Amino acid sequence: MTHPTAQSADIALVLEGTFPYIRGGVSGWVNQIIHAYPEHRFAIIFLGSRREDYGDFKYPLPANVVHFEEHFLYAKGSSNEEPLARAGDPVGHALVQRLLDALAEGPANAQAMRAFEAVVEQMQPGGTVQLTDFLYSRRAWELICDNYRRHCADPSFVDFFWTVRIMFQPLWVLARVAQQFIDVRAVHCASTGYAGFLGGLLAQTRGVPLILSEHGIYTKERKIDLFKSEWIRDNRNIFQRDPTELSYLRQMWIQFFEWIGRYCYQRADPIIALYEANRQRQVADGAPAERTSSIPNGIRVERFSPLRADRPAGPPPVLCLIGRVVPIKDIKTFIRAMRRVVNQRPDAEGWIAGPVDEDPTYVEECRNLVRSLGLQQNIQFLGMQRVEDLMPQIGLVVLSSISEALPLVLLEGYAAGVPTVATDVGSCRQLVEGLDAEDRALGPSGTVVPIAQPQQLADAALALLGDPVAWHAASRAAVARVERYYTDTLMFDRYRQVYERALTYAPGVA
Amino acid sequence: MAGIGFELRHLLRRNTLLGLVQAYAYAGVIGSGPWVLSIVGILLIGILSASVVEPATLVTQFQTSVTYLVACSLIYTGLAQLTFTRFVSDRLFEKQGRQVLPNLHGLMVLVLLGAAVLATLALFVVLPGLGLLYRLLMLAGFALLSAVWMLTILLSGMKRYKAIVVLFGSAYALIVVCSLLLRPWGLEGLLGGFVLGHFVLLVGMWLLVVREFPAAPRLVAFDFLQPGKLYPSLVAIGLLYNAGIWADKFMFWFFPPTSQPIIGHLRASLIYDLPVFLAYLSIIPGMAVFLMRIETDFVEYYDKFYDAVRGGGSLQFIESMRDEMVYSIQQGLGQIAKIQTLAVLVTMVAGPWLLDVLGISRLYLPLLHVQVIGAGLQVGVMAVLNVFFYLDQRRTVLLLCVLFVVLNVVLTGLTLWWGAPLYGYGFAVAQLVTLAAGLQLLTRRLNRLEYHTFMLQ
Repeated sequence: MTHPTAQSADIALVLEGTFPYIRGGVSGWVNQIIHAYPEHRFAIIFLGSRREDYGDFKYPLPANVVHFEEHFLYAKGSSNEEPLARAGDPVGHALVQRLLDALAEGPANAQAMRAFEAVVEQMQPGGTVQLTDFLYSRRAWELICDNYRRHCADPSFVDFFWTVRIMFQPLWVLARVAQQFIDVRAVHCASTGYAGFLGGLLAQTRGVPLILSEHGIYTKERKIDLFKSEWIRDNRNIFQRDPTELSYLRQMWIQFFEWIGRYCYQRADPIIALYEANRQRQVADGAPAERTSSIPNGIRVERFSPLRADRPAGPPPVLCLIGRVVPIKDIKTFIRAMRRVVNQRPDAEGWIAGPVDEDPTYVEECRNLVRSLGLQQNIQFLGMQRVEDLMPQIGLVVLSSISEALPLVLLEGYAAGVPTVATDVGSCRQLVEGLDAEDRALGPSGTVVPIAQPQQLADAALALLGDPVAWHAASRAAVARVERYYTDTLMFDRYRQVYERALTYAPGVA
Repeated sequence: MAGIGFELRHLLRRNTLLGLVQAYAYAGVIGSGPWVLSIVGILLIGILSASVVEPATLVTQFQTSVTYLVACSLIYTGLAQLTFTRFVSDRLFEKQGRQVLPNLHGLMVLVLLGAAVLATLALFVVLPGLGLLYRLLMLAGFALLSAVWMLTILLSGMKRYKAIVVLFGSAYALIVVCSLLLRPWGLEGLLGGFVLGHFVLLVGMWLLVVREFPAAPRLVAFDFLQPGKLYPSLVAIGLLYNAGIWADKFMFWFFPPTSQPIIGHLRASLIYDLPVFLAYLSIIPGMAVFLMRIETDFVEYYDKFYDAVRGGGSLQFIESMRDEMVYSIQQGLGQIAKIQTLAVLVTMVAGPWLLDVLGISRLYLPLLHVQVIGAGLQVGVMAVLNVFFYLDQRRTVLLLCVLFVVLNVVLTGLTLWWGAPLYGYGFAVAQLVTLAAGLQLLTRRLNRLEYHTFMLQ
């Protein structure tokens, strides 16, 4: 596949593991944004783990993407040559040592940040902190051993060693990418993490403005990943293990992502969250509050508004969960809740609409749960569906996730006049109950329930479906809310301002 | 948000360290042990036949012929010894034991074909105009010895030391008995016994190997020649090591003042050879200690070291296992030194008497002393090389082998040019310098063992 290339572009989008290879909320948003500004020429840097982890493009590149490049952070090196022993650059070593000393004072200190900037600058090709030294030099080895002895609470040296290697190695890839990237007038990152690091580095070395839009909170999502991941071993024995304490290696990852997030925050302006709770979280994680703001996702309401007329007068007793069948969506809680719903209303149905190919074991577990609860007649796995086809047939959009940002399915339901029962994650409370006084005055557009509580979820759904007056009130509030606060035009206007400000920015004034 | 899927599991579990610590054993170098046995056998035959076979020159001719067979076949098979042992241990590591037998047969085919071609050429070039039976027996002897060395290497790689010793012992007992019975037929009789004995030895070893490895559907295979499975450095090491050990002997044989023609174009150096053979007998206790130390203490800590590296031991534990490895090497070398010193002292005391018994002039006593010391140093060199093999430092071993060959040739040449008082010093000094260099490199390597293990693999 050949990708467009160019000598320069207006805005560089730095995307980590999303558009155009992976479908999902962020990818859809990126697609929307690029299409919304045909007047800007976009360049895309896609960062992935390994080439084989991705298939083909899931989205065609819009015409105003003039440059596309992809980099894989964990690509295997092609060289089979045996590396040679070396001492390592003393200047680079001193820089790293200075950084480590500064970091020992605590994560939030300006001196450490300056030391970090000095190091990352030298990580670019031709600098004094080179990957080969990190991998093969005696100085690096001594640094690793020294830090293991001083800090590592996990007994396994080999795991510590490889964690260090895997953690830092991508930074050199990114340093090279930053140096060789084409001329752009502004950089826009869709997350912190490695993408945010690259954005920060571009801003640092080129003096271009950096825009950061965070949909989730990278460090938090990584934390969930890290909690779940079995590949990070915990080598403490039964006497050393304290279950309330994260394993040292997990903590290392979290601190690492927190730190590179901080690096991105101190360069980025504006720092945009999807919703208020996340904005506060960014501030807590080190983002300067005066640069933060929220711009919620918006949808094209006209796509869904005609569907309102297609619905039968009363709410259909159909609860629909739209999303991938993966553990983070907690499909099982939905299935358990359906048992209770069906006990009360035998005519109720539960639909699960979303791809089932991502985590086949989990899908199988869900199907087994449906069977063991005797719900084969009431629950259907529909696979991928057109949302417009579903909306007129359902009475509630259900969201049982244990983690979300700003779920578009709720807004799409709202636009079609379908209220929701959602767990209290991400922006769901804001979406259901309203944010400020004016918003809250519209009334609730559904019910918020705690996570992993099938009983409460079922009761809330039954209450709405069983009371047409309440249902219609919620439906009206839903329509009003989405039209007032969550349309795409609103979102496009606000991002237009962001881009205009960035593109008129005179370089070097920072 | 998708983010980069945490597909790191594979990366972390890839365990590149595994590739490096493939626990293969290089008893290859130890394989030189059996030829000590063969020297004993040759000497025995000589002593037992000396009074019976007439004229006495026949015995000398026999011993010289056999010495050439042993030397040439060792150097020749040196090409294949180490790389094939490595091939076998790699396959065993991969649990591909089935591939061993067909490849062994493939190797045998190649070795025997090569041996036949080389020996046939030699019959016309080196042994022109001699009796047909003698020449045919030489050809058979060369081919059989080559095959025997290959199997010896294979079996010692599998740590079947006891079986090797038992087989060699019985084969040489058979050879001695045969030579006693066949004495009346003179040179051909003695050589016939030698060939017969080795044929029996070869069959015995082959049966042992066949029993050891699972049968395979293929009879013959040549996988060991595939790129990546053939280690050029090991081919070179095997050749150089054996050539190095024999270089000084050949130089003495073909330097007119120190040698005389024996049979055909074969020459021998009576003044040099017997002290050399005697000296090699003195290293038997040293070899035994060396085997014990390396294969027990050292390997134990070697395994613990790499288990700790792979299995998530703490750095402190890894370091202390490294220290234990170093300590066991020090202990082993120290014990070898003690034993060899003892052997030197014994030779010093018993030397005059020994020379009298063998009918050699006491003028050569100083030569015997130097040879004993040189042979003792060789045990040390072998020990160091073996440790390097365990650490998979083929480049270092190659370097040491080159150093040894060059030194042995140059220094022996110098001593020949200088004259009798320095005979034997060439070999001994070459061993000494190689040992010193080897120890120096080993110290450096062991001091940085963890660094090399983690960072450079």
